[in-house]
Amino acid sequence: MSVTSLRGRMLEAFRGKVFLFMSVTGGIFIIFIFQLINLQFIQGSYYSTRARSNIEDNVPVPASRGEVYDRHYDIKSSSNKVIASNRPSFNITTVPAKFENKKQMAEIVQRVAVLLGVDSFELLREMDKANPWQRIVIKEDVSFDVVVSIASHEELYEHIMWEDAPVRVYNYGPVFSHVMGYIGSIDPGEYDKLKDQGYKYYQKIGKNGIEKQYDNFLRGTDGSVKRIVDVHNRTEGEELGDEPVSGNNLVLSLDYELQNVAYTAMQDKMGSVIAVKPSTGEILVLLSKPDFDPNLITSKNASDILASLQNDEQKPFLNRAIQSKYPPASTFKLITSIAALEDEKWQPDWRYFCSGHYILKGLQDRSYQCYKGQSHGNLDMIGAIGMSCNVYFYNLGYKIGPTSIINYAKYLCMDKVTGIDLPGEISGFVPSKQWKMKTFGQGWFDGDTINLAIGQGFTSITPVALCDLVSAIVNRGIVYKPHLVREVRSQDNATVIKRIEREKLFEIPLSARTIETVTSGMRFGVTNGTSARLNYLKVPIAAKTGTVQTRSVVKSDNTQHAWFVGFAPFGGTPDDSVVVVVMVEYGVAGAIAAVPVGEAIFSKMISMGYFNDTQK
Amino acid sequence: MIRRSDFSKFDLWLIVFVVILSVIGIFTIYSAGFDVVTKINNGMYRKQIISFVIGLVFMFGIMVINFRIIEQNCFYIYIGLLFVVILTSFLAPSIRGTRAWIDFGFFSIQPSEFMKIATIVMLAKYLELRERDIQNFRELFVPAIITLVPVFFIMLQPDFGTAMIFIPVLFVMLFAAGADITHLVSVASIALIALLIPTYITHHEWLHTEAYNPLISFFKKGSGVFILIAVLIFISVIFFAFRFIFAKKSYRRIYIPATVLSIGLVLAVILQRSLRDYQKNRILVYLNPDLDPKGAGYNVIQAKIAIGSGGFFGKGYLSGTQTQYGFLPEKTSDFVFPVIAEEWGFFGALVVILLMFGIIYQGLKVALEAKDKFSSLLAFGLSSLFLFHAIINIGMVIGLTPVTGIPLCFVSYGGTNLIMCMIAVGILLSIKMSKSA
Repeated sequence: MSVTSLRGRMLEAFRGKVFLFMSVTGGIFIIFIFQLINLQFIQGSYYSTRARSNIEDNVPVPASRGEVYDRHYDIKSSSNKVIASNRPSFNITTVPAKFENKKQMAEIVQRVAVLLGVDSFELLREMDKANPWQRIVIKEDVSFDVVVSIASHEELYEHIMWEDAPVRVYNYGPVFSHVMGYIGSIDPGEYDKLKDQGYKYYQKIGKNGIEKQYDNFLRGTDGSVKRIVDVHNRTEGEELGDEPVSGNNLVLSLDYELQNVAYTAMQDKMGSVIAVKPSTGEILVLLSKPDFDPNLITSKNASDILASLQNDEQKPFLNRAIQSKYPPASTFKLITSIAALEDEKWQPDWRYFCSGHYILKGLQDRSYQCYKGQSHGNLDMIGAIGMSCNVYFYNLGYKIGPTSIINYAKYLCMDKVTGIDLPGEISGFVPSKQWKMKTFGQGWFDGDTINLAIGQGFTSITPVALCDLVSAIVNRGIVYKPHLVREVRSQDNATVIKRIEREKLFEIPLSARTIETVTSGMRFGVTNGTSARLNYLKVPIAAKTGTVQTRSVVKSDNTQHAWFVGFAPFGGTPDDSVVVVVMVEYGVAGAIAAVPVGEAIFSKMISMGYFNDTQK
Repeated sequence: MIRRSDFSKFDLWLIVFVVILSVIGIFTIYSAGFDVVTKINNGMYRKQIISFVIGLVFMFGIMVINFRIIEQNCFYIYIGLLFVVILTSFLAPSIRGTRAWIDFGFFSIQPSEFMKIATIVMLAKYLELRERDIQNFRELFVPAIITLVPVFFIMLQPDFGTAMIFIPVLFVMLFAAGADITHLVSVASIALIALLIPTYITHHEWLHTEAYNPLISFFKKGSGVFILIAVLIFISVIFFAFRFIFAKKSYRRIYIPATVLSIGLVLAVILQRSLRDYQKNRILVYLNPDLDPKGAGYNVIQAKIAIGSGGFFGKGYLSGTQTQYGFLPEKTSDFVFPVIAEEWGFFGALVVILLMFGIIYQGLKVALEAKDKFSSLLAFGLSSLFLFHAIINIGMVIGLTPVTGIPLCFVSYGGTNLIMCMIAVGILLSIKMSKSA
């Protein structure tokens, strides 16, 4: 009995365990079914997308980046000056996630690296770091032959792909380097910031200059081709996805001929040249030296060139026209004159005798020299501007005091950016009494005033701001924002999409007498003064030069920067006028170094007929 | 031999489930057999049909002959097969790094598959004999040896998936045979502690977390862990002694956890110090394939994509993109379930799961209705064998269990596995029919 009951108990226990086991089994299968529901319904669309992206290879079809023309663009002409355009080419690419394993990836990458002549080690490191589903460019700008040799050996180059990738071409190389800037692969930091604006990780982006400033107009929208591929990336079919939308063309206000003349005239000097039409703010010339060839740095593997340019002591990437500031030197006498006349503290016909020295009275008298201590004799204001007489302006500045001069420098926005349509512009600097107290713990001395009056000392101004100063004088007090782009045009049919209208930057009421006096002074500088070598030109030029005393860091003998600011035609209407500003760093003999550059530009403008209306 | 009346006990449902599932398998293998480029079928489905027919012969053969023949000869079958497995492990040609197949030219056999049944039969027999003493911890030794010897040699092949299926089967058979739950839980806990601690540390290091983790620094640095182990051993020894001195069984509550914890910790320390980094990483990736999406995780990710993109009714037979464009790896063998889920959707996957459950359910019913302990345990063991195959295989492809190469019974390509499964079904059918004998 006890045995049977034991057997019965054990059987009962066994039955219980089997039932438990059966319920656990059922439970596990129910969990499986829930996971299936999770995968197939809840996450179904996600996995469907993943499955589609497995078989779809979205090969981007790059949009044609907008071309860039100079100001004489004519829709009917076949000889337009194309400053930037595109050349057909191919990229070799791959997607790390497509490889079955690291070993296979390493093998194929090494093979293709040998074929393309790139560093396989570097490449593998890049592929390890990147998002595995991102397309990685192995080499840019390869020839069609290379593409053919990869395409004909699919078994050797599995998962290696190619795509159209037009290469940006800057047809005049360094001549427009600072204006155009250049394009480069979007870097991770930029991508994070810009991905909301439709940028893709594989795209090129304007890195500087017009390319950066107008990237949204130039870039267009990439299209795509959907390839249906198997796991070995073999094409099963192809369908066109989105058509690429071409970027827009730009018509610049720059004049190719003038830019080229400026480029030639600057030779290997350091510095910058700007020419502006004050009636609109259109820039005809914008040049900075030393320059670089943007064609060399647009390609992906140009990091060496890029680094050497960035580390160059002469800073070729610096756009000296908008990113450097210098003491304005004698060009500042224009502002001093305006301040004196506008505040009615001085009359144009007030004369002063220049003995070559100016004695500033004080506890200890101090003597200030005119240029090389030479006497200019008895001068009125026009003569003083024309001869650039320091002594006259020492006296004038001492009489009218610093506040008036500083105010006018600020009214003329010499301490502000001009808002030119280029990235990275800096502003000049105009000192003040408070600033001096704060910075040096000293009050404002009379010596500071007379230095201020002739543009030495604390003041520093960018060439483009100085351009605005002359524009204000020429354009009767109204200054338009300087800009480089005239029109945005469709790349497909060249219709105008946007016309850049002139935009008033600031206005300063200048009396006719002030303008008359200052321009006459500048004219006198050409007929009798420091810019006399421009006197022969058929169109009357008015100009002012300046010599900045400096300590050279580069060339030991040349310790002066040279300014040249000028406009033509003297006595013409503002609508025809062109303002030219030249800055030569470490010029050979002071102001003289900059004058020939101005001369070359004005001379070319005359021969091109810029001032024909005035000549008649 | 069977009598005519026995046919009333004929388990028609079990046969129907097995046949349907095998036919689904053949169709799926056909669909998965197309070359990505040439669109030519590799013909594996034909081999599977042949195996299926052979399997049917074995199944009905065993049903008719009666499983007692196997019971009577279980020791010789076990020893003989073990010998073949050992020979295979050393002498068989290496196919994809594994010495698991004996090649006969036009077909090849994987003896370790049959070893599964032989071991289960052997265990059932032993546990029947020792039914009354099985509560004793010492009695677990022999079943462990019966199981671990073939496991050891299959590991040598190395065929990790096949080897590890034995372990859970052993556990549930011991459980069903009436072994002390405390013993089983203790052994499982020791293994868990020994494996989880190094894995946890490796995971922490893998993520390069700089954050201070007191648990890890306790385990890795200083003598804290050794003091803890010493204290635990001391406690276990004292209370183990008390148990006999005072004859109080309740001290088990103290010395068993203390012993489990101390042995687990000792093993964990040994593993943590002796395993090389790549070995630890392999365990980690095994447990969490997402950590290595290009390597071990690739297959599972592609399987989940295949399943998830299937939706309710699937993409249609022969039209699964993951299958037909070759993104799904091992699609005829271990990853056959995703092919069904992709081409037939939730519907198809559900049918397979329900059929599998049906087979296991019928098997367990046989275990319940069997007349003697041996038949019960055998039926139970064979059912659990199907279950663990299903759990490990389906669990792997739907991303719930680690990646282990184990076929899905009746569906996956592989003659030996199919024939083995059908022999097991034949045994179940035979038990069912002979219960009234």
